[in-house]
Amino acid sequence: MIVAQRKPFEEIMNMLKGYKKVLNVGCGTCVAVCLAGGEKEVTVLNTELDMARKLKDNPIKIDGITIERQCDREYLAELDSKVDDYEAVVSMACGVGVQFLAERFPQIPVYPMVDTSGLAANQAVGWYEERCRSCNQCVLGMTGGICPVTMCAKGIYNGPCGGTNNGSCEIDTEQPCAWFMIYERLERQGRLDNILELHAPVEWLDQTPRTLVQPGYKKVDPEDLV
Amino acid sequence: MISPKLVEVGRHTNINLITNSEIENIEGEPGDFDVTLVNRPRYIDPVKCTGCGECARHCPVTAVNYYNMNLDDRRATYIEYAQAVPLAFAIDTDTCIGCGLCENMCIAKAIDYDDKERTSKLKAGSVILSAGSRGFDPSSLDYLGYGKFPNVVTSEEFERILSASGPYFGHLMRPLDREEPKKIAWLQCVGSRDKNRSGNGYCSSVCCMYAVKEAMISKEHAHGDLDCAIFNMDIRTFGKDYEKYYLRAKDKDGVRFVKARIHTITEVPETGDLSVWYVDETGATQEETFNMVVLSIGLQIQPKTVELAQRLRIELNEYNFTSAAPFAPVKTSRPGIYTCGVLQGPKDIPSSITEASAAACLAGADLAEARGADIQKITVPDEIDISGQEPRIGVFVCNCGINIGGIVDVPAVREYAATLPNVTFTDDNLFTCSQDTQDKIKEVIIEHKLNRVVVASCSPKTHEQMFMETLEACGINKYLFEMANIRNQNSWIHSKTPEIATQKAKDLVRMSVARAAVLNTLKEKIVPINKQALIIGGGIAGMNAALGLGKQGFDVVLVEKDTQLGGFARQLHHTIEGEDIGAYIEKLIADVEADNKIRVLKNTRIVGFEGFKGNFATEVIVDGSDDKEKIKHGVIIVATGASEYKPEEYSYGEDKRIVTQVELGHRLEEQGASDLDSVVMIQCVGSRNDENENCSRICCQNAVKNALDIKRLNPDAQVYILYRDIRTYGLLEDYYTKARELGVIFIRFDQAAPPEVQASDDGVLVRIKDHILQQDVDIRADLLTLSAGMVAEDTDELSGIMKLNRNPEGFFIEAHVKLRPVDMPSDGIFLCGSAHAPKLISETIAQAQAAASRATTFLARDEIKLSAITAKVDTDYCVKCLTCVRSCPFEVPVFNTHEKVIEINEAICHGCGVCTAVCPRETIQLSFYEDDQITSKIDALLAGGM
Repeated sequence: MIVAQRKPFEEIMNMLKGYKKVLNVGCGTCVAVCLAGGEKEVTVLNTELDMARKLKDNPIKIDGITIERQCDREYLAELDSKVDDYEAVVSMACGVGVQFLAERFPQIPVYPMVDTSGLAANQAVGWYEERCRSCNQCVLGMTGGICPVTMCAKGIYNGPCGGTNNGSCEIDTEQPCAWFMIYERLERQGRLDNILELHAPVEWLDQTPRTLVQPGYKKVDPEDLV
Repeated sequence: MISPKLVEVGRHTNINLITNSEIENIEGEPGDFDVTLVNRPRYIDPVKCTGCGECARHCPVTAVNYYNMNLDDRRATYIEYAQAVPLAFAIDTDTCIGCGLCENMCIAKAIDYDDKERTSKLKAGSVILSAGSRGFDPSSLDYLGYGKFPNVVTSEEFERILSASGPYFGHLMRPLDREEPKKIAWLQCVGSRDKNRSGNGYCSSVCCMYAVKEAMISKEHAHGDLDCAIFNMDIRTFGKDYEKYYLRAKDKDGVRFVKARIHTITEVPETGDLSVWYVDETGATQEETFNMVVLSIGLQIQPKTVELAQRLRIELNEYNFTSAAPFAPVKTSRPGIYTCGVLQGPKDIPSSITEASAAACLAGADLAEARGADIQKITVPDEIDISGQEPRIGVFVCNCGINIGGIVDVPAVREYAATLPNVTFTDDNLFTCSQDTQDKIKEVIIEHKLNRVVVASCSPKTHEQMFMETLEACGINKYLFEMANIRNQNSWIHSKTPEIATQKAKDLVRMSVARAAVLNTLKEKIVPINKQALIIGGGIAGMNAALGLGKQGFDVVLVEKDTQLGGFARQLHHTIEGEDIGAYIEKLIADVEADNKIRVLKNTRIVGFEGFKGNFATEVIVDGSDDKEKIKHGVIIVATGASEYKPEEYSYGEDKRIVTQVELGHRLEEQGASDLDSVVMIQCVGSRNDENENCSRICCQNAVKNALDIKRLNPDAQVYILYRDIRTYGLLEDYYTKARELGVIFIRFDQAAPPEVQASDDGVLVRIKDHILQQDVDIRADLLTLSAGMVAEDTDELSGIMKLNRNPEGFFIEAHVKLRPVDMPSDGIFLCGSAHAPKLISETIAQAQAAASRATTFLARDEIKLSAITAKVDTDYCVKCLTCVRSCPFEVPVFNTHEKVIEINEAICHGCGVCTAVCPRETIQLSFYEDDQITSKIDALLAGGM
């Protein structure tokens, strides 16, 4: 799932200092699950802003609404009749949601309230660990289910590097070496030969926004969808 | 912690509380006792007294406050403490000057100077004596300087000093100059383990633990570094997880533990500090100065209790405990009269509570036929349907005598309430809680067709239930009620600013009226109770629990995984007191198998489980059959037991001369000890180490028992016990003393320097460092006995199937370590025996009877009403993030894999509200505390413009 965390309050205050009437849009999917941008966090942020601005003798009218997902246009449609009542819209969604929102309402400034940090697993309540960098060239089948792009500080495909240190990474003894873990797991599964296969490095250069179309589906003209 | 218990006892319809009274005599037979009571006068009628405290506030006489251990004053008209039940004052006539002021001040007309001592009689079928004890009075031990040096206090006094309601309001201060001490010493075993000066040969069992606790709390209360030193002979933290607490104090919080008994205390005249003198482990004399000394006084049965026992013809032992037989721990020498708590023997809170339930089990079993005969039936009218009605709120403002009315302008608050939206009736009362006001409220509710009620008075904690019952009596749903606490949270704390207090009372009433308007009718679900019990484990615990329930008249299914009953106790021969365990078990098995209420399933495995309190269903496979049998039952008692640890230490298993205590027991039984010249025992094998931090509780007495046996069989044999702390708590201490008298040699070692063991042709050689000689000693042994600890039975599969939580050591977890030692966290599930923690047979029997008793409180009812205050999830908006599943302290929310939704079973929801608060989509609501029912109060408060 996509995880995010709320921006520092001071940064938020600074972004909104010129506005008196703002709509805060929460997102009911990933950021709700990771406790960053659902109904509860919208209410909490709005209350904080309300109090902080009152204390500065510069009150703000801030309303909240949480929609199912900000990355689906059908759900954004709910906002069409509302946004023009406000000077600005802020979003608690991930970067995808913020952009999609800004795209739909180009007439009005849209601000992000969270920093999107990546794709992570939920270890326990409120604790998320990154497991994927969406590199678009998954090699997990060859690496024993351990991602070298995410888990290795250098993101190398043919490791380990010279910095591996008794199972730890050279950046921090608390950080396990991804390639050490890969070796151990492949050895346990009796497929160490996988590690000998050379992989071309990730094509990080010339990155363009990626589009994903699931099999059986196709791209259509966005105009037809509105 | 104790306050809710007091309230529960005070309000319980089956408990008739008679205070300030003593038993004069008990005549008659079990089932038909005539009890004569002496009721002492309290000079204030507890029925009329409302606990307002006006009498004490005007009493001109100062008296010593016994409750705070004489460290401060109270009035001659007084109540012992704020949470007292009954909440009624009394007059201490030893100090009262009879001025009449309190009589003039009392609006409730409760004062009665002519009150006299009376005698009354009552009938009882069974009797339980729980007279308890007091702390030992150390005045006679002149070398400690108690009573002479102001900064030497007893642990009881120190408890009051640390208490927020104590003489110094919880500030850590010493009595002489009210300065905060920087260095405090605790002296253990004052009035315990000391036959010479105090006459008490027993260990009081609780002082080590409370000294550690007091040191830890002192450190929390101190403003700078506080040096705490506990002088002890042995640290006896033998209870469940107590050792972990001791280790925390020692290793993390820096409490010092010094092995020494103080022989002299002198005062430093200029400072009031105290010099303590002792001989250290090497035999050298040491002196150290402290700002304050706390005497860890033991538990002492009081002379008046001894007189009571004599009057009732109940035998006491040499220390005045009820000297119970090991297999009948809560029986006294007189049939039909039972005992529990410290009167039975020295013990801590969980053991006392366990025994209390055990005594209730036996007392109730004698009277099982008559159960329910004396219960008053309360009939409640049908509920009036208020759906669609506009809110019609009645507001009752209480004067509480002059408690509220003396500060707050009550008529002004009432008039203000009448102006609030939806309010159709207002009144003010002298005491809203009095019976006549209750009757008046009922009339008003009906006359004015009120559908919601607000009472502005005191704390809902003590009075909400009563007012809710008043509503029910008029056919109004009890959840349409709201209280504003304008006493405890207002008039009492703003007594110097009446205008502000009146304004705040108005604010509080406005908030409550706003909430009352949005309250909803809630239905309490009623579920029937299946009257059969399932007991898991057929050892001493399970069998005693089964017999206990059988005698109470309930059907029991007793499930045992083995092919025979008896459990681990089959490995044991006799108790330290000399009672025959084998014979006891044979009799127990015969009783169980002869009881037509008990169905025994041996060689049986539990394979499936579902349901909740009162309605469980468990699937079992008997004798490896292909078919599962489904057993329906209302309660569960877990009694899966424990067994002896198989040592990996000290070359165990490599040499047949190295055995465990249980194996030694077999050997002594079969072969005797005539061929043994020298036996060495090593304590704490598999206990109190890194793998298992806890003490196994039973091994010290086991070693002493076997050592005494060897000495009995072969007086010339030499027995060495190598130990870290000898933990022969309670009356077991006598056996430790006896072992030393018979020449058993005890040598203490440090965990860091354990004995070294080497097998040779000549015997097993054990090398240990003697701390007095300060050098290594070699001992040759014919037999090396390892005091292996206790390990819980393997219950991985069972706990997984039945979702019963265990601690890291594999013992099941109780609902509350101190106050609910027999209940498990989920309702209707109880725990006993060594499945809970290592314990002696006598303690196991008590806990088994306690479990039967706790289960009876459930099974005796035909149905239970579930609280309507439960959480509900709106699955349409739920994103199944699992935050509630992971946050619930009772593991109630679950993901239903068939329906693919989060489910909260209202039958097991405790209504704590954690899930409601953490839900990121605000899709869980707690009824009675729904979001708008809380925010309405805040909005109403802010609308008034603070």
